[in-house]
Amino acid sequence: MATRKLTRAGVSDEMCEQLKRHKVESCKDLLSLTTVEVMTAAGLSYRRTTELLQTVSRAVAPPVSTALELWRQHSCFSTSLPALDRLLRGGLPRGALTEVTGPSGCGKTQVCLMLSVLATLPKSLGGLDSAVIYIDTESAFSAERLVEIAESRFPDHFGPKERVLQMAGRVHLFRELTCQNVLDRLDRLEEDIISTGAGLVILDSVASVVRKEFDTTLPGNLLHRSDLLGHEASTLKYLAHQFNIPVVLTNQVTTHVGGQGSAGDSGFVTAALGNTWSHSVNTRLIVQYVDARQRQMLIAKSPVAPFAVLNYTVEKQGICMDGEESEGVLYEGTDPGLQPIRVQTEF
Amino acid sequence: MQRPVSSLSLSPSVKIKLVAAGFQFTADLLPLKPLQLSKEASLSQQEALEVLQAVRREEGGDEEAAGGGGGGGGGGGGGGPASLTALELLQKEEELRSIVTFSSQLDAALGGGLPVGKTTEICGAPGVGKTQLCLQLAVDVQVPQCFGGVGGQAVYIDTEGSFLLQRVVDIAAAAVQHCSLQVEDDEQRVAMTTFTVETILANMFLVRCHDYVELLAELHLLPAFLSDHPRVRLLVIDSVAFPFRQHFDDLSRRTRLLNGLAQQLIAMATGHNMAVLMTNQMTTRLRGGQSQQVPALGETWGHAPTIRVLLHWAGSRRLAAIFKSPDHMGSTVQYQITSEGFRDVDQSERPPSKRPRTHADQSAESREDASL
Repeated sequence: MATRKLTRAGVSDEMCEQLKRHKVESCKDLLSLTTVEVMTAAGLSYRRTTELLQTVSRAVAPPVSTALELWRQHSCFSTSLPALDRLLRGGLPRGALTEVTGPSGCGKTQVCLMLSVLATLPKSLGGLDSAVIYIDTESAFSAERLVEIAESRFPDHFGPKERVLQMAGRVHLFRELTCQNVLDRLDRLEEDIISTGAGLVILDSVASVVRKEFDTTLPGNLLHRSDLLGHEASTLKYLAHQFNIPVVLTNQVTTHVGGQGSAGDSGFVTAALGNTWSHSVNTRLIVQYVDARQRQMLIAKSPVAPFAVLNYTVEKQGICMDGEESEGVLYEGTDPGLQPIRVQTEF
Repeated sequence: MQRPVSSLSLSPSVKIKLVAAGFQFTADLLPLKPLQLSKEASLSQQEALEVLQAVRREEGGDEEAAGGGGGGGGGGGGGGPASLTALELLQKEEELRSIVTFSSQLDAALGGGLPVGKTTEICGAPGVGKTQLCLQLAVDVQVPQCFGGVGGQAVYIDTEGSFLLQRVVDIAAAAVQHCSLQVEDDEQRVAMTTFTVETILANMFLVRCHDYVELLAELHLLPAFLSDHPRVRLLVIDSVAFPFRQHFDDLSRRTRLLNGLAQQLIAMATGHNMAVLMTNQMTTRLRGGQSQQVPALGETWGHAPTIRVLLHWAGSRRLAAIFKSPDHMGSTVQYQITSEGFRDVDQSERPPSKRPRTHADQSAESREDASL
């Protein structure tokens, strides 16, 4: 890894001492310098410097594999919604970030709770048979609702009471209420994943702490916020890839005021956290309102699925999509960072 | 050992002029340059150059005879590798095929496809299709040569985690399907046996880099890898922007590292005869009161790739604009992403036009292409 010390990367001791005098101690320090800077610090000729860089690179560089080897691994987490699974070619991708975004009250936390239940199911029922790490920043997690979903959705499996309690024991909840707490939790998440045997990580929600603490109208804050979000995204991607697990995040909405609004509107509602965050997530699912009861889920960004609209409602057993065989209606989408979202209009 | 000027193999009139100017031994001539010699000895510039080349040849012969180090013959003047003429380069470029994208409009705008031996950058808004184009090209580079492809392998460096295998399988299956519909003779039939989804996946080398240090380390090791795998014709880095947009307090260091990276990529592209494809993200720049989307990584990075393509949305349409290219005028084409990959908009059921295989066919093809 990048923070490996040079002493353990196959570099001779005298060279390490020499480089230490120039404050170069880890592989990251060395590779962040340009070749000329390395030549100066190490006092070597160009050829010897390239050899040194090769040695250090070998210690840091990730292994090369082929796509064929990847094919043999598991790659998806089924959502138990057949229409969505079909469009996503199996389910939520493992090793990548999936974001669920939408206006308040639309069902994002319900999706998260449902996925938590699914992850604890045995593989024969389509689950991951693993624990779940649920990082909650809005205090929206409800254990009773979790149990209700489990009992209503899989009444046979969760008939005996101990199974329900066992399932609830496998969902590990972490309440973090500030940005710094979230970052600290993510930095320690590797240990938590290993100790709990987690197969799914949920962060509900990314946006709430960030928007509370960063006022983007103040100069410099936009950069800090992007930096923080980038740090979170890369940590989560690293964990998702190393453990080959899906990571689900939720986001909020914001009003976009722009000159390029459609059809004369001065603004429209779209996903929060900006353009850079839209680049960072691999899959974006937008939930929006149709009317007081009917909701829709849009696949707005996905490397495998086309733009699609799926209708659903929130029931006792979680999310219910229309029928078994209904194909999602394909629509002409646009930039997922600027996709307009319908909010609740009737109360 | 001093050699008299008269022992050089030159015409007598030249030797007389040299002696008259006071040059007795060849050693006197060594440090001179042609212009100076022509003035001092009243020789024409061409004659002065011949004299000096003859002197150097003799000196080089002497050194080798004395068992000294070689290279004296090449010393001074045009030492190092010989330069190429544009004609030689033209012939070389014609032999280097471009990588077809299966979107004939984009290929036409790029002048045949993604050029081999050059670095290309694709920037665009999130979700517009950058990764799709990269995956498409990683499959297209493997199309056998008898079908007009390059028949090479691909190295895919993924820094974002957006390489989804299921999508690659779809695109590969569609490519195999297209080619099998065009089989005409035995050579192509034989080629199809080695062009299957499994072999396409096996010929795609994947590296997952989590931060910029791993990316730089991988690029240091890549020349050795490419020497071991000479069939690699495409290097994809998806994306260059993501690892360089976080934790960088010192932006001038970032610029220096990016420049070094660009140089390495150009060297690899030309040295190993392959195409380098990088994706970049967009960033918001505030100008006055308005915000504008521009390619990320700064202005200096804009100089690094040879060709830059911008993918953007216009309402619900996807457009590809080529805005930096030394060969072609900037142009914009529309494309779409289908279940089979990156395609033209009005593709419907028409298979992509065949790539010409020989020069004789090429003129016939170009006439046919012009009429389509």
